[in-house]
Amino acid sequence: MIAFRDILIFAGLMALAAAVIATLFPVREGPSPAPACSDCAFKLTGGYWIRQYGNYASLYLGTREAARYGWAYVDGRPLSVGESVDCDPMYLWALDGLAYVSCNGEEPAFGREVGVLAPAAAVDISANPLGPGCAYTANVITNVMNGTIVTLYVYDAYGRLVYSASGVMPTSFTFSVPAAGTYRMHVYAPSLLDSWYTLYAGVSVVPTKAVVYTGNNTQDLRPAISLKVFDLTSFWERGYRSVVVYVDPGMRSFTLSAPASAFADFLLAWEDCPNCDPTYGALYVDEVWRVTFTQSGPVLTHVFSQGGYWHEVYADGNLIWAWNTQGPKQTTYTGTNPSIDVRFVSQASVMDAEALFTKTCSWS
Amino acid sequence: MWSTAYGLIALAVVAFVVIYAASHAPSFASVNLADQLYSAKSQLASNISSLPRTDKPAYFTVYHNIVRIEVANATYGNYSFPAELPLGYKLAAEGNNLLYEIYLNVESCKPVSLRGGGAAVLYVVELRQSVDVLPWLAVYYADVNATAYYGQLYGLYRAWGRPPAVGLDLGAPLSKAEWAIVYNATSGSDVLYVAAPPSAPYIVVEDYPLAIPLACPR
Repeated sequence: MIAFRDILIFAGLMALAAAVIATLFPVREGPSPAPACSDCAFKLTGGYWIRQYGNYASLYLGTREAARYGWAYVDGRPLSVGESVDCDPMYLWALDGLAYVSCNGEEPAFGREVGVLAPAAAVDISANPLGPGCAYTANVITNVMNGTIVTLYVYDAYGRLVYSASGVMPTSFTFSVPAAGTYRMHVYAPSLLDSWYTLYAGVSVVPTKAVVYTGNNTQDLRPAISLKVFDLTSFWERGYRSVVVYVDPGMRSFTLSAPASAFADFLLAWEDCPNCDPTYGALYVDEVWRVTFTQSGPVLTHVFSQGGYWHEVYADGNLIWAWNTQGPKQTTYTGTNPSIDVRFVSQASVMDAEALFTKTCSWS
Repeated sequence: MWSTAYGLIALAVVAFVVIYAASHAPSFASVNLADQLYSAKSQLASNISSLPRTDKPAYFTVYHNIVRIEVANATYGNYSFPAELPLGYKLAAEGNNLLYEIYLNVESCKPVSLRGGGAAVLYVVELRQSVDVLPWLAVYYADVNATAYYGQLYGLYRAWGRPPAVGLDLGAPLSKAEWAIVYNATSGSDVLYVAAPPSAPYIVVEDYPLAIPLACPR
């Protein structure tokens, strides 16, 4: 009768035999064989190395070839023909017949970097015409948070440095340009950002029956033009103490001295009659006013008045000056930031003129 | 008694051999790139309508997973309301062994006449992609009456009180559009040309399952 004891002895003997046979398999300490698989990852220890040939790559264990792949890549770089790599342990990803080898266990990543995640920095500029001058904000944003220093320089049209500052990205710079003009802004952070921008700070004029000049004009332009606007800003910027402006064929002139820290400055010369004064008569001097953008806002001041026709001056729609007619005699008017509208009304309505001055702060 | 002891010893030996063999046998982990790609794309697809949107070029330059938009005035009947037009995308998602990136930017949009007669709008889209799966790209146009579409969009605007985005906030039935890709071997930046009917409010570039709506700048 077969007892449980006999089964146990038989099983034990079988197990011993199996153990002896198992030791003959290559599952021993030391080199492990390379499994043949695709789309898999494994770790090899003990004397594996890989060599690239002209049309395939071979994985060797000692001198014995263990596996073949289409091409071998090490740390993302394809091996050149004849090159070999030897490390222990060796991490190997076999994907689509290609071998991706890493010596430090870092997983291979597929997919090129196409610029979506690239280190970048950029400047977001905004401008505010409220307050004195033009206030610019340069917001420097970045996706690199390693404390890169960014420096900002602002130069005026004559190359003079008017503002500079530096900070650790991401950061924001706010500065104000005190006078109208064209400025160059350089934002510099080595290797990330080296950009030049042009800042346009100025006063735009929307003229009605009027023309803007940056120098003298003595022509008789009636009846198309009844108002001459002389832009004096650039003279003050160049350092002139005073300027003489000639406004009519009779060479009448107005001497104006430099305003203290003004953003922009204009002289307005207006004629009230389409045909009364002959050429070389007193033209464009019936109302002479000055618009100065000061630190507290645009200011309209009276310079000179004459003429036989009645006429009126409106600032932002309010009557502030009347000549040869009933009305106020207000010689200065301060507008609300950042614009002022000046309107001249004549007895001869064909000569009515208007100029809208608006502070504009832009960039490109 | 003794035989039981022998048996136990034999069992112990067997157990040792089995455990030893198991722990020293070569083993490998399987890597499924196709699954990783699909999950990266579907992760983007599920988030695409809630990604941050910007109309400032600086923010589009620096950040990723962002939509470049333009806020334009749309009209519905006598109503005029702001709507966001999606014009560019910078999307990135990572799998374990995979970096999926797609960059799309509408460069221009112009009316053209088709060879067989008839008018179309030609979208010129800059396309950069990190993995070359482009043969599977599909391009559609929103096959819907623009007036009706903007009517629904106007309803969304009234309900939300903020500008709705064309294509992102309101879908439409899609039809296959004609398209072509011009590869650029040196820059890695390809150009996708899409011809859509002039009445289509937007087009959809689909790298399945990621569908990306793009509109014409105004």
